[in-house]
Amino acid sequence: MSDPMQEIRNSFFIECDELLEGLQDALASMEGGDHTSETINVAFRAVHSIKGGAGAFGLDQLVGFAHTFETVMDDVRSGSLAIEEHIVQLFFQCADMLSDLVRVSRDGELLSEDEMAPLVNQLKALAGEDAAGGAEPEPEVDFQPMGIAIDLPDLDLPDLDQSDDAPEEESSAGAPADQGEAIEAEGADAGERDVNDASALSHLFEITFRPEPELYRTGNDPLFLLRALEALGRAETTCTVAPSPDLAEYGPNTSLLSWKITLSTNVDAAAIREVFDFVDGLCLLEVTKLEPGSEAEAGTAPAQPADSAPEPAITASPPAEAPRKAAPAAPAPKPAATQDTPPKAAPKPEADADRAGGPGQASQPGATVRVDLDRVDRLVNLVGELVINQAMLSQSIAATGLSGNSKIATGLDEFQQLTRDIQDSVMMIRAQPVKSLFQRMGRIVREASASVNKTVRLRTEGETTEIDKTVIERLADPLTHMIRNAVDHGLESTETRLAAGKSAEGHVTLSASHRSGRVVIEITDDGSGINRERVKSIAESKGLIAPGQDLSETEIDNLLFLPGFSTAKEISNLSGRGVGMDVVKNAISSLGGRIAISSQAGVGTTFSISLPLTLAVLDGMVVTVADETLVLPLSSVSETLSIGPEDVRGLGPSTQVIRVRDVFVPLIDLGTELGYSQPRSKYDGAIVLLIAQEDGKRAALVVDGIEDQRQVVIKGLEESYGRVPGVAAATILGDGQIALILDPTDLLANASGRSRPEPNLAIA
Amino acid sequence: MALRDQLRVLVVDDMSTSRGLITQALDGMGVSHVSTAADGPSALESVARSPVHLVISDFNMPGMDGLQLLQSLRQGAKTAGVGFLLITGRADKEIIERGRSLRMNNYIAKPFQPADLKTAIEAIVGRL
Repeated sequence: MSDPMQEIRNSFFIECDELLEGLQDALASMEGGDHTSETINVAFRAVHSIKGGAGAFGLDQLVGFAHTFETVMDDVRSGSLAIEEHIVQLFFQCADMLSDLVRVSRDGELLSEDEMAPLVNQLKALAGEDAAGGAEPEPEVDFQPMGIAIDLPDLDLPDLDQSDDAPEEESSAGAPADQGEAIEAEGADAGERDVNDASALSHLFEITFRPEPELYRTGNDPLFLLRALEALGRAETTCTVAPSPDLAEYGPNTSLLSWKITLSTNVDAAAIREVFDFVDGLCLLEVTKLEPGSEAEAGTAPAQPADSAPEPAITASPPAEAPRKAAPAAPAPKPAATQDTPPKAAPKPEADADRAGGPGQASQPGATVRVDLDRVDRLVNLVGELVINQAMLSQSIAATGLSGNSKIATGLDEFQQLTRDIQDSVMMIRAQPVKSLFQRMGRIVREASASVNKTVRLRTEGETTEIDKTVIERLADPLTHMIRNAVDHGLESTETRLAAGKSAEGHVTLSASHRSGRVVIEITDDGSGINRERVKSIAESKGLIAPGQDLSETEIDNLLFLPGFSTAKEISNLSGRGVGMDVVKNAISSLGGRIAISSQAGVGTTFSISLPLTLAVLDGMVVTVADETLVLPLSSVSETLSIGPEDVRGLGPSTQVIRVRDVFVPLIDLGTELGYSQPRSKYDGAIVLLIAQEDGKRAALVVDGIEDQRQVVIKGLEESYGRVPGVAAATILGDGQIALILDPTDLLANASGRSRPEPNLAIA
Repeated sequence: MALRDQLRVLVVDDMSTSRGLITQALDGMGVSHVSTAADGPSALESVARSPVHLVISDFNMPGMDGLQLLQSLRQGAKTAGVGFLLITGRADKEIIERGRSLRMNNYIAKPFQPADLKTAIEAIVGRL
């Protein structure tokens, strides 16, 4: 168990991210003209809550800034400060600063006061006369606390008056204090349950539940089952310890406890049995319906003798206390005293659960659970194994030659479907809306536009679109760069815009949507579009293309992705950070994504990124090369061809090309490239995979055969082997064989001098 | 048997950090029967289901603020007499006055130390 304070601190920072997101939303609404008090309140509350939490952890700098920010927001809230455009913009900057402060505070660091001063001064100037007062300690308010009387012996909860059973329970609670804490706790718990009894519960059941040792061994906990029963109505639970055996019989694997539950409920026996579904066969379970009335009293009866029991029997036989989770399976007559002191085992954990806030939280609608990412990843991995296992099973069953409509085959089909469904569901756990990512881009736009003196508004669409968390994280850098590019290069200066009859304010739109099993993110600006003449002349001057080469518009646009290409006449302090679009493209490719450009002169440019929903599975093409089985991402294979010797031409001493529809494509023999085989002497009947990259680069990979197209589960290798050039990961195939998943982009980039891939060599 | 072993408390705050901190502080005082709620409506639901002696609630919450919660508690037949400790961002006179009129038992201004919280609670329920 880690330090609880540390855990709370961690959760504080997670909560801060949520609050900052809420703040951004509220400010965006305010910017859009929504000045309702609820919106302003949301913004105020976010800052206020961050301040409150930060105070508890002694994050003074964060508290100080949040306080100043909050003071001005409070003025807006109270109406003494009008919401004007420049105020909202200032709030945006403050929100960014707050977000920075949260980030550095997390690492126990501080921002320099110089960095904060300009904003703090602006805030203080706005707060004006208020600022001085705001920082002062609160004026003393005269308030006399009002005590309440809590009558301990009766545990007089303010509202426990309506229950019939209450007097008995109270007398139990009122028994001599040395009866032990557990009994006291049970008294309180019983009181709590009595409240449930308000409405008529029509059925009465007696449930006997005795776990077999196997139940414990499989990690089940009777407490959860008992709680689930309690949730169905009003439960009287008694626990029985088997007659104390010899000490020698106690052990972690014995089962000594059994429970009898009298349940008043509105559900039927089937619903009760459902509670025990997961432990079916691991316990003895009897559900008997009792006639209401006569048996009802019998049901509550065991509670009474408890009062008179001089000492809890469990305390009398000390060893029984230790193995709380242990009881011999064999039922046997039990001494009355033992039978009557059931609460010992159950209530203690219940009290613990209370402390954890269990009951309070269970009822919250739309509740979320925060789970460590490691646990989710473990589940993802296990499901991956399941998929592999299922594939192996299918393969070996197919090998037996069973007919397709045999029961096994149909059962297997269902199994396969279920496996897919589980896989999809698990992947969904890792999925996150792109909203947080998009919000970060709002800040980039604000900063970028300020530094190049343009007025730019960012619009976002499809913020709820979900993608794998890792994809979102790794998308931040490329997206940041593209947004900066859009502001810096995409949009014209204000004067140029006005001259062209456009609005002075430039627009950048960031959108996300699902399209045929992938997520498409588009960055659109309403600028002047790509100046293709200039792009082409730059590419020529940098030797990236042959002078006068005839290129289509798309081909020219794609030149932007070539390494070392930069169109900025003067390097502005934004885009010219040594990161070109080639880096962006590589980052996208490493996520299994593709990037494309479309641009219209005078109207604007759209960069469109298409990404897989998850990084855990991949649609692959399984091929054989020199008796090795390899997998290539299906997305990179544009075409497969069978070639003969006549298709291959030499180009220089070591490069060979093939001609595909009037275009020569460099040939890469995969076997040779990977060192599996000697260069082949002739390409008779060789199979070629045409690899097309986003930039239009192509290459032809020679393989021996194509086996299959299928979904494969990606197993990372980097942890064990580091990064291997040309290899993206590995997978386990249906027959248990391990196959490497190749990275075509890397492969082409690293291809030995023999067959360097070139940009399309058009036939003259 | 000390009061702290029996005292049942409900902590209401929209921030899970605050709920955690207060629960932690209560735990440090030996008060372990603590349940939590993230907003006013679920707090009302929670006390109806399992009654408590004392409600510790933040003032500034979305939807129903701490004093609106207090008002609903005072109007409920079963919850009218429950102890109520309000946590405020600052000791705003207006808030305190509103609280007083709703028979708020005590308040505490943020930020506070566990010892301050203990004092504020003990002023309501007696020595823990």
